[in-house]
Amino acid sequence: MKNRQVIIYLLLLLAFVASLIFVTNNYSFYDRPIAEVTQAETTDSTEVIDLYDNKDRLFTQQITAELKNGDHKGQLIHLSNEFSRSKAYDQEFKIGQKLFVSIDEYNGKQTLLTGTIKDLKRDTYVLIAAWIFAIIVLIVGRKQGFFSLISLVVNAVILSYALDLYLDQPDRNLIGICSIAVILFTVISLLLANGFNEKTYAAIIATLLGTFLSLFISYLVIWLTSEEGLRYEELQFITRPYQMVFMAGLFLGSLGAVMDVAITMSSSIFGLYEQNHNIAVKALKKSGMEIGKDIMGTMTNILFFAYISGSIPMLILYLKNHSPLGYTLSMNLSLELARALAGGIGIVITIPIGLFITIYFINRKRAKL
Amino acid sequence: MNALVVLAAILFLLMALIGGKKGIRSYLALFFNFAVIFILLFFLNDPNIDPIILTIMASIVISCINLFYINKVNNTTIPAFISTIISIVVLLLLIIFLTKNAMIQGFGEEEVEELSIFSLYIGIDFTKIAASVMIMSTIGAITDTAIAVSSPMREIHFHNPTITRKVLFTSGLSIGKDILGTSTNTLFFAFFGGYLALLIWFKDLSYSLGEIVNSKIFSAEMLTLLCAGIGVTMVIPITSWITALYLHKNQKKID
Repeated sequence: MKNRQVIIYLLLLLAFVASLIFVTNNYSFYDRPIAEVTQAETTDSTEVIDLYDNKDRLFTQQITAELKNGDHKGQLIHLSNEFSRSKAYDQEFKIGQKLFVSIDEYNGKQTLLTGTIKDLKRDTYVLIAAWIFAIIVLIVGRKQGFFSLISLVVNAVILSYALDLYLDQPDRNLIGICSIAVILFTVISLLLANGFNEKTYAAIIATLLGTFLSLFISYLVIWLTSEEGLRYEELQFITRPYQMVFMAGLFLGSLGAVMDVAITMSSSIFGLYEQNHNIAVKALKKSGMEIGKDIMGTMTNILFFAYISGSIPMLILYLKNHSPLGYTLSMNLSLELARALAGGIGIVITIPIGLFITIYFINRKRAKL
Repeated sequence: MNALVVLAAILFLLMALIGGKKGIRSYLALFFNFAVIFILLFFLNDPNIDPIILTIMASIVISCINLFYINKVNNTTIPAFISTIISIVVLLLLIIFLTKNAMIQGFGEEEVEELSIFSLYIGIDFTKIAASVMIMSTIGAITDTAIAVSSPMREIHFHNPTITRKVLFTSGLSIGKDILGTSTNTLFFAFFGGYLALLIWFKDLSYSLGEIVNSKIFSAEMLTLLCAGIGVTMVIPITSWITALYLHKNQKKID
């Protein structure tokens, strides 16, 4: 056992180092030219005051960078960069950072190439964060941690495939595709987390009933109120019918939380039954409701914060540009609030559903004995 | 009728019906939390106050609401509270490193076109705002995990008061293992549900994998999700350790 652990940790370390070396040297895999900053000098700064009396400072940076891929590999390129102190849509670059650049036409006379900065190369940081996450999950969760990582990866692949299916033939129903995906997500995640047993089966059924019922309720409300109060304009990245995309997002968004509630209900009620096989159904119901009360508050909070917080930068921008408060809030929060509320409905409704399904499974098991 | 008002009313009815008094308290807690975010927003608008300090203060208030208001002050919520704050401070160090280097603050090129009517030079440090957003997205999940670990630990200690600190810590860890998968799952779906439109957009405009990973919006989302995952995982051993310590100290006092 000890030996095996050492081998596993060594393999992990090897994978970590290898991927880090790859991601810091993967320039040739990119078509876009990449350059590493070798010199950066701030040459100029001016105070600016906008229409609304917001004070900021603009800086100009002269950057020399070394190209890392393409025909000009190894050559130096001269770039100029403007940034502000607040950096809402600009950055201050430092020596050692890697940038995506575009190279200007070379006229044969200059000694240095010139170009413009497109973006920062961020893959290294995403990779580092992913590794920290994976390692800490494995240390804390061991085998279960490993399974939950697998289930996250499998779910991501299914999601990507489901979206491909939708985009291949746009007349397909996104909600229909998501429904099938939701069934797969639920079965795979819960089986990987808890194995093949009655607890898991009860949780799967409760999750599916809970999610579909809450989708139905939200759909009904949105339809009956003819979408009043929902500002679809804020869905920024939209290339498809927006209502459908929004409903599908709402559907998927609450799924994780509903699964969480369903498995908590079924495993704790099964736990009570296993401690005392003669426990009365009435006692199970009472304890189950108590457990449900305990989790509903914090669970609804998870979704609430996960959805609302992302709007903070946009809210600040609106308010700093003197947009009226009511307009700012409804423009930026209406869809997030709808998601959080619909998710909350899913969470709360799954508590009694999970309770009764689990009791049904327990009764069935008792009848067999 | 406004769809949001109807949804909020349905949620209230369900929470009151199923959760009784505690359900109503949980529902009100959502409003208090909203108020905290609202107040935070106003302070964030002042360029002279450090957003990181504001975020830590907001996290403390939110943890108080989530733990002490919903569940009362007792020997489950006190260790859960301490653990939440410790986890947030540790997580913040990682987040500050990431936001400084990955430069995911502010708005991406995909968003900026429709913001052209706005002045972007508003004097607010968006790098720190980005760190603040990452902490705020996670705080609900961290308090949830903390209470989910410390509450059964108290039950174990209650039924078996002579249990050693080390055994209590280990049982906390094993409770944590069971909820780890579902907590990360909750965050995963919440984020991807929220960003479904963005994923479809990337696919529709046939972004390459390299372009997606390096784009500001996607990497910001990924880093937020990963940091949230790191937060909910990290809080498990911290809570197990603090709760074991706390319950033992209390036991000694009683003896």
